[in-house]
Amino acid sequence: MGLDIRIPLGLIFLITGGMMSVYGLITRGNAAIYEKSMGINLNLTWGAIMFVFGLIMFLVGRRKKWQDDPVDPRPWERGAGPRH
Amino acid sequence: MLVYFVFVLGIGFALKRYMRTSNDFFLAGRSIPAWVCGLAFISANLGAQEVIGMGASGAKYGIITSQFYWIGAIPAMVFVGVFMMPFYYGSKARSVPEYLRMRFDEKTRAVNAFSFAVMTIFSSGISMYAMALLIQTLGLFHGIIPDQYVFHVSIILSAVIVLGYIFLGGLTSAIYNEVLQFFLIVAGFAPLVWIGLRNVGGWEGIKRTLPSNMTHSWQGMAHASTNTLGVEWVGLAMGLGFVLSFGYWCTDFLVIQRAMAADSEVSARRVPLIAAIPKMFFPFLVILPGLIAITVTSHMATPHTAVFATKAPNGHALPLDEQHPHGIIPEKMDAITGKPVLDTNGNPVYNYDLAIPVMLLHFFPTGILGLGLTALLASFMSGMAGNVTAFNTVWTYDIYQAYINKKGTDAHYLWMGRMATVGGVVLSVGAAYAVTNFNNIMDALQLVFSIVNAPLFATFLLGMFWKRTTGHGAFTGLVSGTAAALLHHGLTIPTDALPGMHGGWIAIVHHYPSDMAQNFWTAIFAFSVNLIVTVVVSLATKPREETELVGLVYSLTPKPEEGHLTWYQKPATLAVAVLAMLVVLNLVFA
Repeated sequence: MGLDIRIPLGLIFLITGGMMSVYGLITRGNAAIYEKSMGINLNLTWGAIMFVFGLIMFLVGRRKKWQDDPVDPRPWERGAGPRH
Repeated sequence: MLVYFVFVLGIGFALKRYMRTSNDFFLAGRSIPAWVCGLAFISANLGAQEVIGMGASGAKYGIITSQFYWIGAIPAMVFVGVFMMPFYYGSKARSVPEYLRMRFDEKTRAVNAFSFAVMTIFSSGISMYAMALLIQTLGLFHGIIPDQYVFHVSIILSAVIVLGYIFLGGLTSAIYNEVLQFFLIVAGFAPLVWIGLRNVGGWEGIKRTLPSNMTHSWQGMAHASTNTLGVEWVGLAMGLGFVLSFGYWCTDFLVIQRAMAADSEVSARRVPLIAAIPKMFFPFLVILPGLIAITVTSHMATPHTAVFATKAPNGHALPLDEQHPHGIIPEKMDAITGKPVLDTNGNPVYNYDLAIPVMLLHFFPTGILGLGLTALLASFMSGMAGNVTAFNTVWTYDIYQAYINKKGTDAHYLWMGRMATVGGVVLSVGAAYAVTNFNNIMDALQLVFSIVNAPLFATFLLGMFWKRTTGHGAFTGLVSGTAAALLHHGLTIPTDALPGMHGGWIAIVHHYPSDMAQNFWTAIFAFSVNLIVTVVVSLATKPREETELVGLVYSLTPKPEEGHLTWYQKPATLAVAVLAMLVVLNLVFA
């Protein structure tokens, strides 16, 4: 398994969170849009939260390179695993 | 801002192709970490039936719907993790029907494989149908595609996307996508619940507006006529809590497949337990919006009067599950005439399936609305993908390899798996067009489950824990259990329903207060018949040698080695923690 799920996961949240925050930032003076959510700028706040979550996931996924660690072979590398 | 939601799907699509590292199409090489499998485990189950169906039931029946999670899933998930997973994973079976062949015989496996294949096609069809209907109702593609084609285009489009990523990456791709979808769903619905609760004044606000049987999960359970589900507690605990939920979580290859992809037996056992934790809190994400939707009264533009009527305008008494305000739930419209659908008493029928989509449109401003809708679509996709991967595995291993071509090369079976994916998707599209007769998607699905899944659990239970069970016993039991389910469904009918799809197509000998009650009791009957027949036939036939059953039956299998694990790493510890949390939640909302 070459790809850690946390990297694409992080990327998706980084991008969508980023887009939402930017959009929220641009439209922050626009009361008409946020009347729906009772005056709370959901785009900005939730976008920022998603951005941070994505960043954490991305960094953890990048840093934790257990796949390449020869000291602790994963079960499928031991050769004893049930393969078909 | 729809551009942006298409963009998200586009990213998903690009990643899907990038994830084609799977060396094993069907089992993801048994190499996925436990937490990833755990999330995929619930996400595969979190299809349309969950999000739309649970939101709908939340709006229709109240917090009592959480029983589907707290009674109807968690105990079974704990059980499968602690007791059953060692057999599935340890026996090296590649699918649930294959385990049946190892434990019993060929014919039992054939029955299971065929019925399962049909069921996955239907589930995936339901998912597709719901998605297309939703897209059509919300007018998402309004102006892009002519209105009369929207339904068809959505079905084909979703089919093609799911087909694309499974075709390329097999189970790994499906699992990865399910994890992404899980996080998207949480990210999309969490702010909805938060803003919705703020709007109606929190949980206390909901309690003030709604009748008390909507906000307590156990109230009125003593008798069918005093709770909104129309089920008494015996039916609920036995039908849903025991037969249906154990039948689903313990024997459905759709979910078991995710756990079987885990990288070791300990991981595989942890998968359902890890999955149980988020599962426990999912009611807050999917049922609460339904409750909020009926609580919201006149926040903005369209003022809704929250009439709290027990009598319909024309004097007929309303059924119990209609005695509450309807908030922003729209009335059901007839797709052909464009007029509101009325029931036999002339009352408007409310389209509960729209509870969550309407909430999204009601509270989310442009921008985050795209996220919310993406989350919704993600949930459909994950449900569909789960069914399709399970279908292609069962088809290839248990039907094609077993009966059609026994001596193909591995490459040939891989090719067959891909073809099965295509075939599965095409059949699902057919099923999507077939499923149109029910108001509440959940009911339709429960019907399929109670006929196919309910008797199954008895077979597994006896097979795993009673070494005397024989192949002939299991087979006759399974067949008569399914027959009993059909017969029961044909002989009974919920009140207020016409004979046909809802039951009563043979003769009507009994009336149930609701669809749910009928489903639960169908399951109970099927289970009991299977149990009794299997035991009787097993005692009459010759058992297999004990040496052949090592690793397949509980009493003949060495206990899983746990000595190297510290106490907090053991699956049992996790199981106890999960159950403790469950009890606390039940007490809070009792």
